[in-house]
Amino acid sequence: MKAVGARLPRYDGVAHVTGRTQFVDDVRVPNMLWAKALRSPLHHAGIAKLDTKKAAAIKGVHAIVTWQDVPRLVYGHLEALGIPGDEPLLAKDEVRYKGQPIALVAAEDEETAQLATEAIEIDLDERPALFDVRKAADPDAPQAHHWGNWYPHFEAEMDVRQIRKGDIDRAFDEADAIVAGVYRPAAIEQVPMETQIALAVPEPSGRLTIYSCTQALYFSMGVVAAHLEWPLNKLKFVGGTVGGGFGGKVDTAAETVSALAALKAGRPVKWRWTREEEFLCSSTRAPWHMEIADAVTKDGWILGRKMLTLHDAGAYARFSPYGVTKHSFHHTGAYTIPNLHFDGYVVFTNRVPTTAMRGFGVTSVSFATEMHVSRVAEVLGVDPFELRLKNANRIGDTSPNGIAYTDPSTVPTIQSIAGAIGHELPGGYGAMTRDAREGDLLPEHLVAQVGEVTH
Amino acid sequence: MKLTVNGIDHEVESHALRPLLHVLREEVGITSPKAGCQQGGCGTCTVLVDGEPRRSCLLPLAAVDGAAITTVEGLGTPEQLGPVQAAFHEHYGSQCGYCTPGFLLATHALIGRSPKAGRSEIEEALAGHVCRCTGYVKIVEAVEAAVGGAS
Amino acid sequence: MGLNDVSVLIPSSAAEAVEAFGDGKDVTVVAGGTIVVPELASGRLRPKSALYLGRAGLSGISRKDGTVTIGAATPVSDLVDADPPLAQAATHVGDLEVRAQATVGGNVCSASTDDTPRGDLQAALIALGASVRSAGKGGERSEPLETFLAEGAGRLVLDVSYDDAPRAAGYAAVWRPHTHHYTILAVAAAKRDGELRLAATGVAPRAVLLDADDPLAGLELRDDALASAWYRTQLLPRLVERALTDLEGGS
Repeated sequence: MKAVGARLPRYDGVAHVTGRTQFVDDVRVPNMLWAKALRSPLHHAGIAKLDTKKAAAIKGVHAIVTWQDVPRLVYGHLEALGIPGDEPLLAKDEVRYKGQPIALVAAEDEETAQLATEAIEIDLDERPALFDVRKAADPDAPQAHHWGNWYPHFEAEMDVRQIRKGDIDRAFDEADAIVAGVYRPAAIEQVPMETQIALAVPEPSGRLTIYSCTQALYFSMGVVAAHLEWPLNKLKFVGGTVGGGFGGKVDTAAETVSALAALKAGRPVKWRWTREEEFLCSSTRAPWHMEIADAVTKDGWILGRKMLTLHDAGAYARFSPYGVTKHSFHHTGAYTIPNLHFDGYVVFTNRVPTTAMRGFGVTSVSFATEMHVSRVAEVLGVDPFELRLKNANRIGDTSPNGIAYTDPSTVPTIQSIAGAIGHELPGGYGAMTRDAREGDLLPEHLVAQVGEVTH
Repeated sequence: MKLTVNGIDHEVESHALRPLLHVLREEVGITSPKAGCQQGGCGTCTVLVDGEPRRSCLLPLAAVDGAAITTVEGLGTPEQLGPVQAAFHEHYGSQCGYCTPGFLLATHALIGRSPKAGRSEIEEALAGHVCRCTGYVKIVEAVEAAVGGAS
Repeated sequence: MGLNDVSVLIPSSAAEAVEAFGDGKDVTVVAGGTIVVPELASGRLRPKSALYLGRAGLSGISRKDGTVTIGAATPVSDLVDADPPLAQAATHVGDLEVRAQATVGGNVCSASTDDTPRGDLQAALIALGASVRSAGKGGERSEPLETFLAEGAGRLVLDVSYDDAPRAAGYAAVWRPHTHHYTILAVAAAKRDGELRLAATGVAPRAVLLDADDPLAGLELRDDALASAWYRTQLLPRLVERALTDLEGGS
C-alpha cells in the first residue's frame, strides 16, 4: 500500500497543463460532418407535421435523422431496475418539453447544419403545460405524461415510494410539539466546462466507433446498442476523458443520435452542444418540494417524522424513480428517527427531464433535514448542536429502510464542527461517541429500532 | 492571411470574421483553446495576442493580422514544462483539464506584467475564468507558487 | 447564407470607414467584436456585409482645447484610469480580457436585452455631458449622448467627447457577481459649476438621463432575468443617494 497517503502526481496532469488532453471535440477524423438539432420551441405540443425534404435538399446536408430512423425508439435506461421505458430518442407524435430533440441534421459545417434545421417544416398544436408539481394532482391539471402526472411503476405497481416504520400516530400523540417546514430547492444545472458532445465514426467493418463524453462508458454503450438493436460487440466506445460531468453526463443520448446520423450519411458525425443548449436542454438536478413534520419532545428527542416529497422529474422518468428511492432511504439524514411516514412521488412536468447531480436524491433531503433540525432546535429552545448529537445516528441505529449503521460518523463530525467554530459543548456532549446507544441515550422509544450490525 | 502561432507562421484562408478559436482549432489544428461557451464568458478559449490574454471566441481573424498568437503549447512541453505549467501540475491546479489552458495563459500574462502579484491581483486577473471542478483553491495556490517562483 | 458569404470591408482611415458605412443599410459594424462576433459565428446574425473598424484609426483618447475626445475603437480597458465616473463604469465591463477587446463605440451602441445587461459606459458619459459624433444617413452630426441613445440607431459612432473641466463625480452600482459583473442598476453623477447631471444604467435597454429632482420620473421599469421592476424601483433612489454621497465625498 505504497500509494495511500502518498502525494502522487495526477497521471493526466502533464497532458492537462500542456494542452494535450484529448477531449471528444479535439479528436480529428477525416471526412467528418457536423450536426445540429431541431428542438421543440414549445413546452407541450402535438406534432401535426414533420417534413425534412426541403432541409435535406440544401447543399452540404448529408443526412437528417428523425424518429423513423430509430430501430428501437423507446428504451428505458434503467429497465434492469424495473423502470420501464417512456421516452422516445427523437420526438414522434408530440413534444413534452421545450428543447426536446426532434431531428438531427448532419452537414459539411455547423452553419449549414443550423440552416437546415431551420428549413425543416414542422407544425405543432400547442397543449397546456404543467410546471408546478404541487398542481399535478389538481383535477384540471394538464396531463404531462401518458402514465398520468406521476410515476406509477414502483414495486407492485404502486404510484408512490413509501416508507412506513414504527407507529407514527403514537409518535404524534406523544409529542410535546409538532414542527413543520417546507423545503423547495431549485433545479441546478451542472455546468460542466465541456458541453455535451459525441463523435460517431462508421467503420468499414460495419462497426461503429463512438467518442463519448459520458461518465458511464459501458452504460452508454448499452443504451446505443439497445436503440440500434445491435449486439454490443459491434460498438467500440472511446471515452473516459470528460470535461466535467457531475451527474449531467450519465443520461447522454447524443451518442445514439449521432450514431444514427453517421450510419445514414456513411461518414463520421460530430454533435457538439452549444452552451445555450447545455443550459436550456440538458438534464439538471431536479427541483424538489419537501414537506416535513417532526413530532418532538421538550427535551429534544425527535420521535417521528411525516414527510411528503414531490420530485420534479420533468417530462420523462429517466432515473428519477431511482433517485426518489435513494432519497427515501436517507430521508432522516444523519439522525435516528424511529417512527416514519414517508411518501415520495416522481411527478412529471413539462420541463427538461431531470437527473443526477452530486448525490442524486440525497443532497435534497440532506439539505431539508439539516434546515429542519435547526428549526426544531429553535422551536424547542434547545442548542442545535446538542439536539443533533442526541439524535445522531450511532452504531446499531437503523436507517429508514431498516439497515443497521455500522460506523456512522455523525457524532465526531458534529463535535468537530463545534470545535472548529469555537462552540462550547457542555460536558456530556463533548464526550459522546458513535458507540451503540445505552443508558440516557437509549430511551424507550428508540429501543425497537435498534438493529443488528451484521457486517 | 498569415497567422503566427507559437512562433510558427501559418497561411490561413478562413473568412476575416471567423472567430480565431475556430481558425486555430479547425484550420491550424491547435485544439488546446476550447469552445466552452463561444460567448466570451468562460475563459476556456483564451490565447495570448502579442502577450496579452484575449478570448479567441470573440476575436475576428482580421483583428490578429500581424499579431503573434501564443497558446498553451507555447509555454512548454511534456518533456520540459514551463514554470506556470509545472506549478499547476505540482499543486493539483487541474482536475478535468478543460479550463486549464486558459488559466495557464492568463497566469503567464499576469506574471509577465506583475511579477510580484498578490492575491487580490491574482483573483482579478483570473476573474473571467470559470472552473467547475476544483473550487479554485488549488488554482490560486498554483498561481501563488508560480508567482513565488518568478520573484 | 453562412459567414463565408458576408463581404467584409476593412477601411484604413476614418474617412474610408464613413464612406464604406454609407447610410448603414445592411451593413453590420464589427469593432472589438465582443458582442457581434458570437452573433455572426452562430448564424444568429446573417448580414450581407460587415465593416471591420479595427484598422480605421478610430482609437485613442485626446485632451485638446478643453475637450476630451475618445475614439470609437478605443478599448474599454483604456478607460479604467480615466475621469470618474467613467473609470468606475469601465471596470464593470466584462472582465480583464473582454474589456481589453471591447470598444467604447461598441459599448455606446449596445443595448441591454432581457437577460444580458450592456452599455455600462453610457450612464457615465451622459453624466459627463458627453456628445457623440456619428456618420450615417444625412451625413455626419454631433448630438448629446442621451439624444443619440434615444434615436440614433443605425449610425456609425466616430467618437464621444466631453468638456475637460473640473467636476465632482460619483458612481453607485449593484451587480450580480459572475465571471463578468452583470450590472442590475447603476447611477452615475457629475456636478460642474453647480449643475448636477444624473444618469442610470439598467432602467431601460439604454442608459437615460434622470431628473435630478425626481429620479423615478418617466421611467417604465420592467422585470428581467436579473431583477424585478419592483426591486429596481426600491433600489434606484438609494443608488442616487449613494452616488451623490460619493460625489460629495470625492473630488
